[in-house]
Amino acid sequence: MTPNRVLITGVSNPLGAEVARRLAPQVPHLFGCDIEDPVSALEEMDFVHADTRLSVIGKLVRQLRIDTVVHLAVLVDSPHDERSIHETDVIGTMNMLVGCSGPSSPVRKLVVKSSQAIYGAGGGDPSFFSEEMINWDRLASGITRDLLEMEQLVSEFALRTDGCDVTVLRLGYRVSEDTSLARYLSLPIVPVFAGFDPRLQFLHEDDSAEAIVRATVGRHPGAFNVAGGGVVLLSQAIDIMGGRPAPILPPYWRWFSRLGVKTLLRVDLPRHLADFLANGSVMDCSRLEVAFGWKPAYSSRQTMDAIALGKTIEAIEPPSPPQEYELQKYLQARRRRALRLSN
Amino acid sequence: MIETTPRERRRNSQKAEVVAPRQGFRLPRPIRRLQRQAPMYAIQGLSSLSTRLRDLTGRDVVDMGRIMEVVQFIYQQRELARRGPNYAVDEFGFDPQWTESFITVFKALYRDYWRVESTGVANVPSAGRALLVANHAGVLPWDGTMIKTAVFTEHSQPRHVRALVASQFMSMPLMSWFLRRTGQAVGHPDDTRRLLERDELVLVFPEGTRGTGKSFKDRYRLRRFGRGGFVATAIRAQSPIIPISVVGSEEIYPMIGDLGPLARFFGLPYFPVTPFWPWLGPLGMIPLPSKWRIQFHPPVDVSDLPPTAAEDQHIVMSLADEVRDTIQQGIYDNLKLRRGVFL
Repeated sequence: MTPNRVLITGVSNPLGAEVARRLAPQVPHLFGCDIEDPVSALEEMDFVHADTRLSVIGKLVRQLRIDTVVHLAVLVDSPHDERSIHETDVIGTMNMLVGCSGPSSPVRKLVVKSSQAIYGAGGGDPSFFSEEMINWDRLASGITRDLLEMEQLVSEFALRTDGCDVTVLRLGYRVSEDTSLARYLSLPIVPVFAGFDPRLQFLHEDDSAEAIVRATVGRHPGAFNVAGGGVVLLSQAIDIMGGRPAPILPPYWRWFSRLGVKTLLRVDLPRHLADFLANGSVMDCSRLEVAFGWKPAYSSRQTMDAIALGKTIEAIEPPSPPQEYELQKYLQARRRRALRLSN
Repeated sequence: MIETTPRERRRNSQKAEVVAPRQGFRLPRPIRRLQRQAPMYAIQGLSSLSTRLRDLTGRDVVDMGRIMEVVQFIYQQRELARRGPNYAVDEFGFDPQWTESFITVFKALYRDYWRVESTGVANVPSAGRALLVANHAGVLPWDGTMIKTAVFTEHSQPRHVRALVASQFMSMPLMSWFLRRTGQAVGHPDDTRRLLERDELVLVFPEGTRGTGKSFKDRYRLRRFGRGGFVATAIRAQSPIIPISVVGSEEIYPMIGDLGPLARFFGLPYFPVTPFWPWLGPLGMIPLPSKWRIQFHPPVDVSDLPPTAAEDQHIVMSLADEVRDTIQQGIYDNLKLRRGVFL
């Protein structure tokens, strides 16, 4: 089934915006909802102010006769307090699933964003996590517990609802600008846990958007790990970003280190991230490659290189039409001046 | 494009930057030259001394081979420091260049300290997968490092052996860093399968910490070989099993007691008491210079068994017992061949 009327939740975050931009030429009708305004307007998309935590989402789905829902309103990488993460990830998803279920629901496909954080990062874990290696018995906390709860709800929905394909994408850790991990890695002197140099795996923004688009357009029911190939050691990642690792955090009592980093350096390290930076976690993405016939274009190393390159380039906002006119005028004037000087 | 004459282009082109000489105190030029060339002079002097002493005494008093190994070690370390983040580790976190630079240290232990005699290294295949199974003894896993050194230095085709480590060691600081970096993986069936599928040599100690933590009076008596899981993995991966008997590792730390409560406090499998540890502090950690023998037995072929045989507990356990008997017999043979514990 090709998607006809697609709803993207959480469309105002950068990933959602990118997915909308890529989906717009491929689907006839595109709708987006979020609680905040989108950063840039997309002509082909109809934007609705709607909160996934309220039952309005069910009405929206029925009113707009949505057949495909892309659920991206799942907070993982960006710094938020635990309370709002739980509300958004668990309660929001539950509401969204309730809205999509029932005989009156027109939804035939559901794509849910999840994260590598669901596996946690224990020292004694196997070196690679494949999709069925979720540890339900782990005394999880923070985001890991929220994601476990969320995926349980999603899998229950998939079992209950026959005519609906559910794809869960467990995205690798992303290091775009607004994530806690990127802020941590771009410190000039990066405090790391003494005696650890974990293997890390990253996912580039382009690849995460592309994976979501491919899951939406194609038909791939099930859970998939999505992450860049290869691994990068933490010391390498810090070196690539131009910083220096300082092994000053004690390896035990991580809450203490987290508190110190938060108060002194103003970088929020949630529990799952502290575990990730001590023990590392790597996913096995072979199922994605087989099912999608595609793999992320950026390896973990290339993702890090791209981020390091982006750090040195000053971001320029894409100009709006009036700004564009003024920019052209300015460039013309500058060219004239250069010509005059050279003569 | 702005048209320019060659003259203008020459005028506008950037001049090569003049690098200012470093300010501050500098040693006079002849001394700096001497500084640069001193290592070379030292080696030349040593080599002439070595030749002269050999002519005088007829023996290798100063062995140039060993000295060059030390020099090579120093230069390798400098090269490692210079490569920055521009190196790749494999997905298990193995850094071959880094590991090979330490072979010098382990070779010295292998040759001069424990005077290891290894037989049957040719039984290890030059290419392709194999599961090496050895007895485990000594409080610290020095036997693993010596088997790795034996295969890397004595085999006609130097190969890295990837050992499997109990998961509790992989969450310890320093330990996890070193073990990962030198190519070890977690003792998990999934890790073993992946390594074997990459055609690696995998070393497994089925006795685990039951072997290393046994007291001195039980020396050279094999413990239970787990539940035969290593045989099942080998059958699934169609990999030959190579039994290895190690003699000498039992005497490096004669363990006369085990402080259970202390071990539980530190999260260790056992807390050893030897004649020197913990009485002498760090000095007690120096292993005793016993005489070692390592025997690689002919491979046990499992390629004629179907993969379904891995589920047949009878076949698995009988094969595991066969391997265990081979190793035990090899231990007795080598104990007879050894003239004394320290000779």
